[in-house]
Formats: sequence, structure tokens, C-alpha cells
Amino acid sequence: MEVIYGLIPFMIILGLGAVGLLFWAARNGQFDDMEGEAHRILMDEDLAPEIKEQPEKEEEKKAS
Amino acid sequence: MHNESDQCFHCSLPVPAEVRVTAEVDGDQRHFCCHGCKAVCETIYAAGLEGFYRRTAEGTQLAPPPEPPKDLALYDIDEVQAEFVDSLGEQRDIHLLVEGIHCAACIWLIEHSLYAMPGVVEARANLTARRLHLKWDNSVIKLSAILQRLGEIGYAALPYDPETAEGSLNRSNRQLLYRMAFAGFAMMNLLWISIALYSGADRGEFRTMFHWVGFALATPTLLYSGWPFFKGAWSGLRHFYFGMDLPIAIGASITYLYSLYVTLTGDPAGEVYYDTVVNFLFVILVGRYLEAISKRQAVASTQRLLDLQPRVATVMRNAEEHIVPIRTVKIDDEVLIRPGERIPVDGVVIQGNSSVDEAMLSGESKPLGKRAGDRLSAGTINIQGVLHVRVESLLKDTALGRIIRLVEEAQASKAPIQCIADRIVPWFVAATLGVATATFFLWLQTDFDKALMAATAVLIITCPCAFGLATPMAIAVASGQGARHGILVRNGEVLERFSAIDHIVFDKTGTLTKGTMSVTAIHMLKSEWRTGEEMPEGIKQLLSRVAAVERYSEHPLALAIQKAAASLRLELEQGSFINRPGLGVGGVVSGQQIYAGTETWMMRNGVESAPFLQDIAAQFDRQGASSLRIAVDGREVALIAVEDPLREDAQALITRLKNDGIRVTLLSGDRQKTAEAIAQRLGGGMDVIAEVLPEEKDQVIAQLQSVGELVAMVGDGVNDAPALVRADVGIALGSGTDVSIASADIVLMSNELEKVALASALSRRTLRTIRQNIGISIAYNIIMVPLAVAALVTPLVAAISMPISSLLVIGNAARIRTLFRNY
Repeated sequence: MEVIYGLIPFMIILGLGAVGLLFWAARNGQFDDMEGEAHRILMDEDLAPEIKEQPEKEEEKKAS
Repeated sequence: MHNESDQCFHCSLPVPAEVRVTAEVDGDQRHFCCHGCKAVCETIYAAGLEGFYRRTAEGTQLAPPPEPPKDLALYDIDEVQAEFVDSLGEQRDIHLLVEGIHCAACIWLIEHSLYAMPGVVEARANLTARRLHLKWDNSVIKLSAILQRLGEIGYAALPYDPETAEGSLNRSNRQLLYRMAFAGFAMMNLLWISIALYSGADRGEFRTMFHWVGFALATPTLLYSGWPFFKGAWSGLRHFYFGMDLPIAIGASITYLYSLYVTLTGDPAGEVYYDTVVNFLFVILVGRYLEAISKRQAVASTQRLLDLQPRVATVMRNAEEHIVPIRTVKIDDEVLIRPGERIPVDGVVIQGNSSVDEAMLSGESKPLGKRAGDRLSAGTINIQGVLHVRVESLLKDTALGRIIRLVEEAQASKAPIQCIADRIVPWFVAATLGVATATFFLWLQTDFDKALMAATAVLIITCPCAFGLATPMAIAVASGQGARHGILVRNGEVLERFSAIDHIVFDKTGTLTKGTMSVTAIHMLKSEWRTGEEMPEGIKQLLSRVAAVERYSEHPLALAIQKAAASLRLELEQGSFINRPGLGVGGVVSGQQIYAGTETWMMRNGVESAPFLQDIAAQFDRQGASSLRIAVDGREVALIAVEDPLREDAQALITRLKNDGIRVTLLSGDRQKTAEAIAQRLGGGMDVIAEVLPEEKDQVIAQLQSVGELVAMVGDGVNDAPALVRADVGIALGSGTDVSIASADIVLMSNELEKVALASALSRRTLRTIRQNIGISIAYNIIMVPLAVAALVTPLVAAISMPISSLLVIGNAARIRTLFRNY
């Protein structure tokens, strides 16, 4: 059970590291926009329906 | 509900029947609610960014684009930019405040259209805060061109300085987050130590070590995370005021000191409560943080562009024009004001002729003529001509500056209301301390150690965890939900105060009415038209001719007619004109002699009057509308009613408030008769206070208050600002002026007047929840205190019962959101 004398300080240091990380993230503006970033990753160039429809419409215009 | 053609293609708002804005977009005919939406949509398609519409989530309603800011060129001046950028080198870095961001698709659109511009190095939009961080190369592109582009795709953007705008608020919120995070860390670690102690470690060889680990974690938490409470308690004590911070500080420190005592003496019968101290601080900090976030949200969303317009003026020096920041303008300088510009200073016209819109100051929607020798006030808007003005006073000394100062003074002198929790807390503290002392002496007869433990247990168990959360949780939920539905609440006490309101005063112009004169009805012998209906051809033809005759008149009635004709896109024919101010106009259009004006004007021109119009004219008069008689070729043929129309939801709101037993008053600068007519149309049964000068509005509120009534005021203009502050609760419309928004306690973002009733319901609901929460915490104390007095509370009982009481309070507060289900 003597291992606990080493484990406890180790755990506390680990926890303090996590707290430090959180402080760094907050200072760095990581929590400034909680909504936008989540959406941004989903909005890329490759929007399937748009690419499909675009040539069709151009063909229509040429036909008419 | 609506089919496709009834909805604006851009913003999906319903398209009014009389407005027909259509355009061919991508091969299809589309309808728009306004020209702004149409222009934005065409720009988006022209730039090949139509993916924006696909990215807009189903059911999201955009709003029509905000009016883009004027005079963008002045942002290219280095002196102006210096206030916002770090360095004036090639590559510059700026923060923009953007109006018009609704959803994630907006961010996509903004970033993509900006990256397509050469010279833009980085553009990163923030959806939550509605900000844009921009880096650009000043040698390739000018800032004004970027702002212009944003305007074209439907966003109004202006630079702001994040430090001055919200720096201090952000910093204190961040501090609170740090403290909360640290308490959370300590809580999690202490929890497993406690579990070890509860499950038997308090008898074994590790007991002392676990106690010291608990001490090592709890001490920094108490000092760092608990600091705000000690500070608050101390400043409260110095002012002989027992706030919420005092019982928190006492509870936490007594619990801590007792645990420390047990740790130091190693008393085998004693127990440590370090986990309770830390849990307690963490839960309370969560409540505080939620409260702070909702407050920040309210501040951020009420920040408006106009606020941030850098104050610049065009000064004439040696017959040359210089654009300079307003701070460098001196008294007796000559300032040039172009049409459409906001007047930057108070002064006297020395050259030029123009009319000036002073609605912002006086509430009078009619522009006033100004010529050499007349006075001008800062903040008003020059409409037509170029004016040269000699500066008389600047900034704080202007009329506008004085109003702002009046507002600030009134705000500072407004007594903070005592919330329920604050009223109860001193008694609570006294009772707790009393019971603890009694317990101590009761047990002292048997055993000193037991006496100390029981007394501490009383303090711990009554520690106002649930009390501390009762109010902030309810307020955080209420203001968060309110913000989501377009009601911004400045601070929590407002909700409590609003629930007790028994009298609501409405400003008439711009609040109950739309604030602009417009044509609402046209009567002819055989046909008639009212606003909202499709206009018959005959009436359209007549309107276009009248508008042609009124073209050069500056009278508000004439302006309303011109606007009506423009919105129908009627072609105006050429003709000859005469204009008699105060009477009417006349002219020949397509060979027809047309007169438009008052009854006297008709008689003077020998017009044959039409008896059927007399009754209608009388009827309009009763309604409070102005009427304009129209004669064609010597015979009176039509009557046009022009009025400031009521907002659609005004009547429903008034009826609802009256049903709720709230007294309603209409406050107006108009004639008594007109104001009464408006009140009549709103269903009557309301008090009317008319013929009030703008600067007397707050006196009226003060008079009502002196009778002992709690008064709320709803308004939108600068002239309402002092009244908004004076009232117990000031409510401003989001479209209102910045000063009025800054003075209000509640801001209705969407301009839906109906939200006044919703806000009132929300405040009553919040108050009920606060009372229930306090009830829960009292019930908890009634159960637990006897146990503590009987020395039956072990650390395990405390560790289980205290979170339960907090959870009950939090859960009950979350139920506030059910209120919005019916809306």
C-alpha cells in the first residue's frame, strides 16, 4: 500500500496539469465561439447537391 | 401556412401584399420582401456563393439585411484606423462588430466572400459574439472596400476596439472561470479521498495522510476560489449589510477551520469536512459563472454599430476640407456637413440651406428647415443641402451629450432593489449563528468535543448552498431563455422588479406606432383601398398623378405619398407645379389639373366639393389620421389618409396587459385628441397623457411613481431615455436609438411589441421559481438542522444531502423553459 505515497502527488500534479491546460485554452480564446467552430468543420467546399445541380442548370440554360 | 411566393426568397419573412419586389434569380422568378433582400441575394448569386442558401439550416429565419454604415471612406484614414489596429504597417489586424449574423451559414458566406478578395490575409468570424477578426494587406486593398463588400452581402460591419468595448467584463468572467475550474479540480480529487475515508480508511494507518491531502487541496481552493466571497463578505460587513457572500464565507471558513482543527489534533472522534467546503464553493461558483455569462450576453447583444461610429468631422481650414477626428475639432471651427450626414457638433449655421431630422432628440418625425443663423444639435441628421456650421460646443457639452450624462446620472442614483434572497439572508445568517451557539452550549454540559462538532455541523448543514443557487440559477435560466426569444435582460433584479409592475407606460411614436408617416387608406367615389389590400388600378393611377404633383414638396404628407408611389414602383409623369406651404399643392399632369391639400385649399381653387367625402374625412379625423383632399379638373374625387400606422401587434398586447390587470398609459407629445383617437383604436380603457414635451417625459413617470405605483416604460427614442431610466423598469425596442437601448433594463431585439407580455410572464414565472427554490432550501434546513443539533450529522450525511438540495434547486430552475412552449 506504500505505493499510495507516490500515487497521490502524481495524481495531483496530473490534475494541476489539466487545470493549467484549461487556463491556457481559455486565455487563448478556445472557448470564445462555442457554436461557430462546430459548424465550420461541416461546411466545406464539397457540397454534394450543389455540384450535381450546377451542370444541369447550365445545360437547361443552353437548351433554352 | 405560407406558400413559396408569399415568403421572401432571401430571408423567408412574409412578403406584404402591397410590396412586389421580384427578380430573376438563377432562371427562376423570385419574390422578396424588400429591395435590400433582393440586392443581397443577387450579389450572393453573382459571386457564385449560392451554396449559402443550401447551408442555411431548415427553418432558420434570416432577417432583412441591416442598413449598411455610411461614409466608409473615412475608415481608410490612418488617424481613424489608429484607434482600432495595433500597427499601421502594410499588414493590418482589426476586429469588426458585424450586424446580421444569424447562423453558421452566415459565417461560411462571410469568410468565403472575403477570402475571394485579393489582399485579405485572414478572416475569421465568431458566431456567438457576432464578431469578425480580419487581417488584410493595406497596400493591396482598403478597409472600406472590405466593409463595402460585407454590406453588399447583407452584413453591416464596423471596427471596434475589443479592449474598451468588453475588456473588463471579459477579464472578470475569465477570472471566475479559472476559480470555478480550480474548485472543480479540487472537488474531483477530494471526492475519492472522501470515498476512501467513508469506506473505512478513517480507522486505518492512512487516516492522517488522507486528512493532510484533503488539507493540501482545500486550502488553495478556499483561498483562491473562495476569494470573491471573502471580499464580498468583508465589504458587506463594512457597510453593515449582510449579503449572500457573508453566510457563504462563514459556512466555508468554519467548516474548513473545524476540519483543520481535527487534522492538527488528530482527534480520533473528529471528522474532516474538506470535501464539503470544496463542493460547496464549486457549486456556488457554477451559479455565479452562469449569472455572469448571461449578463455578458446581454451586454454583447445590445452593443450596436452606431455606438462605435468614430466621431469625425469635415473641418474647413484655409478653404480646404480636412476630415479629422472629432476630438481635434475646436470651438469656432467651421465644419462642413454634407447631406445624409449626422451632425457631429452643436453649432450655428453660417452658410447653406437644408432641412434637418431632429427626431432623435425631439421625437418629432417632421424635418425642420434650417438656414443661416439657425442652431443645430449634435446627433441630428442633415437631409438635403450642404451646411457650413460654426462650432459652439463639442462632445459632452452638446445637447446629446447632456442627455447621455443625464441618463448616466440617473442610472447611478437609481437605488438597487433588494431581492427576496437579500431580504431573507440577514435573518438566515442570524438564525444559523443563533442555533449553532445554542447547540454548542446545549452539548457543552456533556462534552466539549461533541459540542464543538455539533455546532459546526449546524453551520455546515445550513450552509446556504441551495440558497446561494436559488436566485442565480433561476435568473440564469430565465435570461438565457429570454435571450433566445429576443428578450435581453440587463440584470437579474429587473426580472424581480418587473413581476411587481402594476402600470406600464407606452411611448406612442415609434413604439405603439411604426414611427413613419405612410398612406393607409384612399377613398374614391367607386372604389377604396386600405393598407394591406391589393390596390385597384384606378387608385394606382390617381396616386401616381398625386405623387407627381407632390414630388417637390417637403411636407411629411407629401413624403408619405411619394414613398407609397415608390414602393408600388409607379412611374411619375412630368408636369407643372405650384406649392403653397400649409395649404397644398397643385399642377397639371397628363393634361389634368390636379389639386391636393386641405379643405381651404380646395375652396380657394374653386373646387366643387364631393359630399360623400365629408363623412369619411370626419371619420379619419376621429381615428387620428390626417387626410388630404384630391381634386381633378375642378372636382373633388378622392381622400387620402396619411398616418403613423399602429404596429400590428399593439392592440393584442394592450388587451392582454389589461386582462392581466395592469394599468396601461399612452404617453405622447401629440395633441390630446389625436392621442385619444389612437387609444380608442387600441381598444380604449387606457389612460392618455398627451401634449408632453420630450424633456418632461421622465417627470410624468416620476409623478406616477410618487403615488406609489411601480411603473414600467416602453420607448425607443433618445428623448425617452431619461424616462426609461426613471421608470422602475425601462424597456427599449431593439430598433431604437443607442441611448435608449443603453438606458433600458430590458431590450426587445426583434421589435415585436408582443414580447412585452412575454417578458412580463417570464418575470412572474422567474419570481415564482425563486420563491419555490427558497422554499426548497428552507424545507431542507427544517429537516436537516434538528439532525445537526442532535449531533447526528456525519460527513457522509452532509456529503449526500447537500448536493441533493442543490440539484433540486437547479432542476426546478430549469423548468422555467417550459414557459416558452406556448409561444
